[in-house]
Amino acid sequence: MVAPLAAESTKTLWSYLRPYGRSLAIGGVFLLLTNMVDKSIPWLLQHAIDALVAHDLGLVRDYALVVLVLAAVMWVVRVRSRIYIFNVGRDVEFDLRNEIVEKVHALGPSFFRRMPTGEIMSRATNDLGQLRLLVGFGALNVANSLMAYVGAIGLMAAISPRLTLLALIPYPAFVLVARGFGKALYDRSRDAQAALGALSDRAQENLTGVRVVRAFGLEPQQNERFEAANEQAIRANMRLVVTRGFMWPALMLIGSIGTLIVLWQGGAMILSGELTVGQFAAFNAYLGTLVWPTLAFGYMLSVVQRGRASFERVREILDAQPDIADAAAPVAMQGQGAVRVSGLDVERNGTPVLSGVSLDVPAGQSLAILGGIGSGKSTLAATLPRLLPAPPQTVFVDEQPVESLALRELRQNVAYAQQDPFLFSTTIERNIAFGLGHDDALTPAQLRERVRAAADEASILEEIDNMPAGFDTLVGERGVQLSGGQKQRLSLARALLNAPRVLVLDDPLSAVDPRTEARILEALDRAGEGRTLILVTHRVAAAERMDQVVVLEGGRVVERGTHRELLAAGGRYARMAARQALEAELSTL
Amino acid sequence: MTGTEQKSPTPPRRRLLMAEAAQESLAAAEPGSDLQLLRGLIPFARPHLWLFVGALVTMPLAGLAALLQPLMVKGAIEATLVSRSAAALMNVVFAFAVAILVEFLGKFAQTYLMQLAGQRTTAGLRRAVFDHVQRMRVSYFDREPVGRVVTRMTNDIDSITELFASGAVTAISDVMILLGILGFMLYLDVELTLIALLAVPPLVLAVNLFRRWAREAFRSIRVHVAQLNAYLNEQVQGIAVVQAYGREAECAEEYRSINHDHRDANYRNIRVDALLYSVVESVATACLAVVLYYAATAAGVLEGGPAVAAYVGTVVAFYDYIQRFFVPIRDLATKYTVIQSALASAERIFGLLNHEERDSPEVPDVDRAVEATEDAIEFRSVTFSYKAGQPVLHDIGLRVKRGEQVGIVGATGSGKTTLTALLLRLYEVQAGQVRVYGQDIRALTREAHRARFATVPQDVFLFTGTVLENIALDAQPDRERVREVLQRVGAWDWVTARGGLDARVEERGSNWSAGERQLLAFARALYRDAPILVLDEATANVDSETEARLQHAVGEVITGRTALVIAHRLSTIRSLDRILVFHHGRIAEEGTHDELMAREGIYARLHALQAVSEGAAAE
Repeated sequence: MVAPLAAESTKTLWSYLRPYGRSLAIGGVFLLLTNMVDKSIPWLLQHAIDALVAHDLGLVRDYALVVLVLAAVMWVVRVRSRIYIFNVGRDVEFDLRNEIVEKVHALGPSFFRRMPTGEIMSRATNDLGQLRLLVGFGALNVANSLMAYVGAIGLMAAISPRLTLLALIPYPAFVLVARGFGKALYDRSRDAQAALGALSDRAQENLTGVRVVRAFGLEPQQNERFEAANEQAIRANMRLVVTRGFMWPALMLIGSIGTLIVLWQGGAMILSGELTVGQFAAFNAYLGTLVWPTLAFGYMLSVVQRGRASFERVREILDAQPDIADAAAPVAMQGQGAVRVSGLDVERNGTPVLSGVSLDVPAGQSLAILGGIGSGKSTLAATLPRLLPAPPQTVFVDEQPVESLALRELRQNVAYAQQDPFLFSTTIERNIAFGLGHDDALTPAQLRERVRAAADEASILEEIDNMPAGFDTLVGERGVQLSGGQKQRLSLARALLNAPRVLVLDDPLSAVDPRTEARILEALDRAGEGRTLILVTHRVAAAERMDQVVVLEGGRVVERGTHRELLAAGGRYARMAARQALEAELSTL
Repeated sequence: MTGTEQKSPTPPRRRLLMAEAAQESLAAAEPGSDLQLLRGLIPFARPHLWLFVGALVTMPLAGLAALLQPLMVKGAIEATLVSRSAAALMNVVFAFAVAILVEFLGKFAQTYLMQLAGQRTTAGLRRAVFDHVQRMRVSYFDREPVGRVVTRMTNDIDSITELFASGAVTAISDVMILLGILGFMLYLDVELTLIALLAVPPLVLAVNLFRRWAREAFRSIRVHVAQLNAYLNEQVQGIAVVQAYGREAECAEEYRSINHDHRDANYRNIRVDALLYSVVESVATACLAVVLYYAATAAGVLEGGPAVAAYVGTVVAFYDYIQRFFVPIRDLATKYTVIQSALASAERIFGLLNHEERDSPEVPDVDRAVEATEDAIEFRSVTFSYKAGQPVLHDIGLRVKRGEQVGIVGATGSGKTTLTALLLRLYEVQAGQVRVYGQDIRALTREAHRARFATVPQDVFLFTGTVLENIALDAQPDRERVREVLQRVGAWDWVTARGGLDARVEERGSNWSAGERQLLAFARALYRDAPILVLDEATANVDSETEARLQHAVGEVITGRTALVIAHRLSTIRSLDRILVFHHGRIAEEGTHDELMAREGIYARLHALQAVSEGAAAE
């Protein structure tokens, strides 16, 4: 069963805009008003100047007052148009963010293998930023440019069609050049980023290999290598700078050529009486209002291109297919937590990870799963709470196939703690209480009581009480760094909080010292009381305490029995036991 | 609900993950001594003085060319209205053409020179940071995450580059332009200029007010973006926990609430930004109204047609100047942000540069005497700990004669690798002394001391580049010798199969297997040809062919040298002159293989353990 990488394109960018159609329409109206006011100023200027030349001073004063009023109106409408349209960009971003996190929650390991965290983050930050630019800034500028063009050219043509045609001669070049620069800017800023990336790799390499650098006295060579990357970064940056430094003056120059033509031809037309001074001034002003929209238009072409590419990249997350779907008509769970696996085969990328694995753990009993790296023991554990997909009718809890149970209910009853315990960077209490939903209405005191009880059961209570802020201690980068054993036991406490019927622990003894191991073993003894316990481990000392033991190798069960039976059999398990006994002996010397 | 406290949409709910500390705003630390920070940049800018001078010279040139243009429009109007001369008009048109060309060239030269100066200045700063880091003690990197140090050399330096590209330096040009416009306006009409300038104080006040709002909104956005990213990042990394506990809906809701606050902060920012952006055009337009009104009044006292006509040109030119005048005032707010962020970066960079933690510092009162001795290496009651109160080595006494080959074994954490780090003086001993060739190693420079060693470290590190570069490690590799050492360690056939000496080595040697990397490290040590060899070899899980090659290679590199060999496979050291058994930071047993086996102590047990493991692996 191979899930397709991405489903057929489900949503277009328009479908994200649709809910905000009203805001966009209102913003568009304000934009139109802005342009109308904006274009009426040169018109007023024209008439005021002509009145001035005609010495009709009362009329000039009237025009001045109208201009003053329009200045105020323009401020209001321009502000509204920007707010309405830019806010839509943020609204779309808001929706997309929520959708991404919801999607991430639904996706399974096959997706996360394909797309590493950094890649997901880059799409949720950089690409989303590009999209927002397209939706808010892009929409406003494209509409604005169109309106400005229609308005200004219309009014210019009304003054003089001939002068309009002449003045617009440089404009096609304008658009082409702006577009060409847009692309060059994009390429070169990408190159500059890459050069900076290489520089950062150099520094990173130097620092991670610091011991070799020091031992071999490589500092001079390293300096040279870094200097080469540094020079490369300057060169790439300068290419970007030259483009940027050339672009604005060049575009301004093209715009000024339009003005030059107006001065030359328009001046001649005044001399010949075809044009009044007022018309000449207004014409120049209209031409001035075209500069920015034209620049923006060229720039927008690359924004649109990048925005579309970013949307595709974001959609690779949104359209990804989850590995696991919740049961359509879930069966209610009932029973004490018996676990059965029958003929389970699991493949990853075409290679079998588990082949024909069968297990039977009656409710309240315990099972140890042993095996080396790559034996499939963690995969087996993850199929029980359905964190990994298993073929139908192979994994059962209380004789119900797991795929027929509601996911949330299943996972609440089959608690699972992963091998490498993940703690969120929040307080210890919140980490342990993570399994409690919002629907569990508890007072803070009751909550603390439950969290303490779980911590006690996981043999970590005393250590938490000894921390500076107790259960309110922050863990992670900004807080306390916990040892591997403490993390393992916090993770255990989290699993125990909801009093699950089945407890699945994936190697809680990996990377802990012997003293911690003894504490965790003690915790396990208590945790196993009154529930089904499935323990993945590489430690015989832990397996010894379980009712049954299975040994996995290459995805198959190779040994099965009680601790005593397997010791007596003298196979793999017995050899592991002998080695671990020797190790224990050495460490006590 | 009181209405004042309803910031979060889900106040009554218990928070799952968001900690109060995460809500804390990024401390609004205004660097106390901005000037001092900027002064720190001077030594790096000084070598590029001429570039700065060039930029500062072209700056007014371009500005002048731009500011003369409105005057020329005025000239054109006068040519047509007053002198009514086509020739005069053509003169103006020609002057205008020259002005736009000069403006173009001047602006380009100014940007180019200034940016080049900026790039070179910050590249020098970056070099200084890198150089400084090369002289830091290794223990610094045990504490400081690599990523953070790299950020100093990349992002922080970049934000200072921005200072030159779009920040403070262009502000100088803006101020020049403002003054220039002012001059031209005064030249045109003093009274009108003063009236138009009445708009400046309210505008500056408004910009200042908006800027304060904008900064608040901006800070809030930054905090929320950091929270959003941290939250999503944790959701992805901890996805197994979220799914295992069925907490998807609750986490999504929490994320939504941060997202909500983020969007609202952005709404605020958009509003302020729109107000600020739009105010300039409106103020310029209002000024036009003032100019027109004033012109009507002034024209009332003018006599005759030509004087009025001349005044029309002034009105048009004024309108143009006013439009150019307010844009730089508005943009000062953005520039201020750039400067702030550059200052914050400068503070971090100089913090690193001023942090002295020198590798192999000179110790003034060290005994420099050279004793006549047979010993190549001597540890005299050396005690060392990484963390105070947790010694890793206790009172170690150890002598290795010239040409002697000594093996060291012991369980993980027994202190073997620390011993080699102290020998190379990557860390400083806390008590006792390490002597090499009869002299305390602290009496030498780090270069002189380390030149006597070739090491094969536990964790083989390959650099991005070629096989040749990785083995020779110096600027002028001797291809013939590299080939020879590769042949001697038995790696030549592997290397030729991969494309010879110039075969690529990718980041951290990821395109070579563990066994291959180990052999390359042996070849590197052999090429170095130093008198003392320190070998800390930890390759596990290799097939028997690789095993045989490694065994052979160890023999090759230690022949004829003083050697300290830490080995995880006991077979490697079996035939050495002497074996030391480390246990909990002390030398517990010492002797030849046969003597140690006969003692039936730790060594004998380690041996038995290995036999069991190898038995299991052989199946």
